Amino acid sequence: MVVTGVGLVSALGANRQQSWQRLLAGETGIRPLTLFPTEGYRSRTAAQVDEHRLDLVGIPAPALAHASRASRFALAAAREALAQARLAPLPGADWAVVFGGGSAGLFEAEGFLAHRLARGPKAKGVVAFCDVPQDTPADRVALAWQLTGERITITTACSSSTIAVGLGAELIRQGRAEVVLAGGTDALCQLTFAGFNSLRAVDPERARPFDRRRQGLSVGEGAAVLVLERESAAKKRGTQALAVVLGCGVTNDAYHMTQPEPSGEAWARTLRAALADAGLAPEDVGYINAHGTATEQNDPAECAAYQNVFGDRLARIPVSSVKGAIGHCLCAAGGLEAAITVLALENGVLPPTVGCEELDPACPLDPIPGKPREKRVEVALSSSFAFGGNSAVLALGRAA
Amino acid sequence: MRVGIHAWGVVTTAGMGVPRLREALANPTFTPHLELPRPDAPPLPVAVCAGFDTKGVLPPLVARRLDRASRLLAVAAKEALERAGALPWPKDQVGVAVGTWNAGTSPLFEILQAVFTLGPDQAPPMHFPNSVANAPASQVGILEGFGGANLTFFEKQAGGLRAIAEAFRLVARGRVAAMLAGSVDEAQWLNAEAFHRLGALAVPGRAGFTLGEGAVALLLAPGGSVAVAGAGAASLPCPPHLYPLRADALLAACRKALREAQLEPEEVELWVSLANGHPQLEQLELELLQALFPAQRPGVLGELATRFGEGAFASALRVAVAAAVLAGELHHCWSVPPHLTSEGFTPLEGPARNALVAAQAGGGSAIAVVLARG
Repeated sequence: MVVTGVGLVSALGANRQQSWQRLLAGETGIRPLTLFPTEGYRSRTAAQVDEHRLDLVGIPAPALAHASRASRFALAAAREALAQARLAPLPGADWAVVFGGGSAGLFEAEGFLAHRLARGPKAKGVVAFCDVPQDTPADRVALAWQLTGERITITTACSSSTIAVGLGAELIRQGRAEVVLAGGTDALCQLTFAGFNSLRAVDPERARPFDRRRQGLSVGEGAAVLVLERESAAKKRGTQALAVVLGCGVTNDAYHMTQPEPSGEAWARTLRAALADAGLAPEDVGYINAHGTATEQNDPAECAAYQNVFGDRLARIPVSSVKGAIGHCLCAAGGLEAAITVLALENGVLPPTVGCEELDPACPLDPIPGKPREKRVEVALSSSFAFGGNSAVLALGRAA
Repeated sequence: MRVGIHAWGVVTTAGMGVPRLREALANPTFTPHLELPRPDAPPLPVAVCAGFDTKGVLPPLVARRLDRASRLLAVAAKEALERAGALPWPKDQVGVAVGTWNAGTSPLFEILQAVFTLGPDQAPPMHFPNSVANAPASQVGILEGFGGANLTFFEKQAGGLRAIAEAFRLVARGRVAAMLAGSVDEAQWLNAEAFHRLGALAVPGRAGFTLGEGAVALLLAPGGSVAVAGAGAASLPCPPHLYPLRADALLAACRKALREAQLEPEEVELWVSLANGHPQLEQLELELLQALFPAQRPGVLGELATRFGEGAFASALRVAVAAAVLAGELHHCWSVPPHLTSEGFTPLEGPARNALVAAQAGGGSAIAVVLARG
């Protein structure tokens, strides 16, 4: 299974190229949040997408009618991914859409809820509900391109879209789809902003993954869509594969709703499951795109998992987290990070860990500080961890 | 690999556990508790699990940290696991797959209500972890110590069936030894009011569905007397809050499932009606059955969603009930919905060897599963 198209919407840019270039330049999209009032919160910053820059040209009106921000991100990312893959589905194409489900239209519905609480049952509002179900972004992408294949929305919090990419590849492997649009989308909303603030899991300024002074995550938003298909189909069309989906591991640590199992043993099981699925050994791995949320608990537990699997060799494997640049995009995070890993494999350049300036001794790894690193890598991992102990790891390879 | 349903547990508006469900299904006059209070407005007609209580099933300190949806699923899971007995597999080889339409709404509401009425710094942190839709599946994973894949599927009304179908594939492909698969929905006034405003709920003078709550948990593993023999899915694009105008996706999903089960449509012995009282869904079901069974008609098991309420859990409940009927564990005496009676469909009489269960989600996604005995 190969990736032939990548669409990316992030706080760094409304498309793949802009997001990638600004990421390599070490920029951050974390800035004061303007989407809703933030007075009274511990943190007033987030990685917010500049919605006005989304390219939605050619998306049919029914797919955009009452579409939430999250759905619009997904539509823009799908459009970009299909264009790169040079695919234009005929209406009724039996292609699948497999997304990680996030807050969907919750931001829009929150406006109604505030109104409803203030005004009682006479408060007006209907269309705010249209996009509340988490599977509506997938519905709208299928509606825009008239796709009739399987449509799956997985919601495992912050590992949702990592699993979506893995399951998307599995659908092709099982013969359930020829082409899969896989990824995820998530949009900022007051629920997640208030929730992470209430847990005191946010950095008042910006996330600094693996840094000794880190204080927490920065909430973000965005979307990523990967076009997956068989390598033979891509070759037949004369389309260049960008990367190969080699395998996926999904497990649960059965430990705690919000905290990772601190020894890293459970997360290590996920890493090994991904390597086993891909038929790889730890020695094959040349780069890891880490979950790296910059919370007190996540980063050391994640490093412990890497040490468990890679041992002393970990110091020689470049590891970066992009959450200091694009924020923690929650249910879209794994999709965005998979997309960035594909770009790293394709371009032979590894993105830096923006915000990591003084490495935490509890995180003994090579975080690619400051600047991107030119390095041709054959195999990379993209690792995610989520509320409820759900971890998922994708193994991706450089295209031949 | 043959993947069977080894045990199951439920919480429905009939009560907690399979015995209460069995009594309700054998009682032609059973009616659920249909009332959900909402602030400042008349109650909404929603089938609720009015007597639900975790006492004696979950330790109080455990129950206290779970939201309602997680409690519903945890209780159903406990019943399924008790019925299964000691599991022969390592716990890290057992996974969880759950479909839901609205898990997380109550904690979400608690947080937003605090933010909007008291201020941002008053958001209660204890509710946030359960505001994610995967909280019920994750909480069950934590409670039972299951370390296999823990997946939650969101596919509106079809979510429960999706979870069962994907769990079936994970076990069949040897990715896990066993899966606890099922579904959960909670009754929350905000959801109900949303559907009411969208014109989907059944109210006097307007046909529609009755929203419901409940939980279903099935233990899927190799072997078993009733197996999942095939699954299929397809979709037909339409706006997310509407049913599609044609039954193409349902038909494609059923055909895929039957193909995988190596059954011809005329060999199907039991059809589990997906009707929920919404006229458009009835129309789709009729169109599907006329195309799938033009001559030979299977027996029908009906009224599950109209009596227990609609939701992702309802699609999983259809699988559970069908499996129990195939296994001879349940007697179902509810009538066939009028739109099917008028086309010559009659209730199942006597035993059946297989069953076809399908679901149609708003937005156009459809799934089907074939169950087979022996």
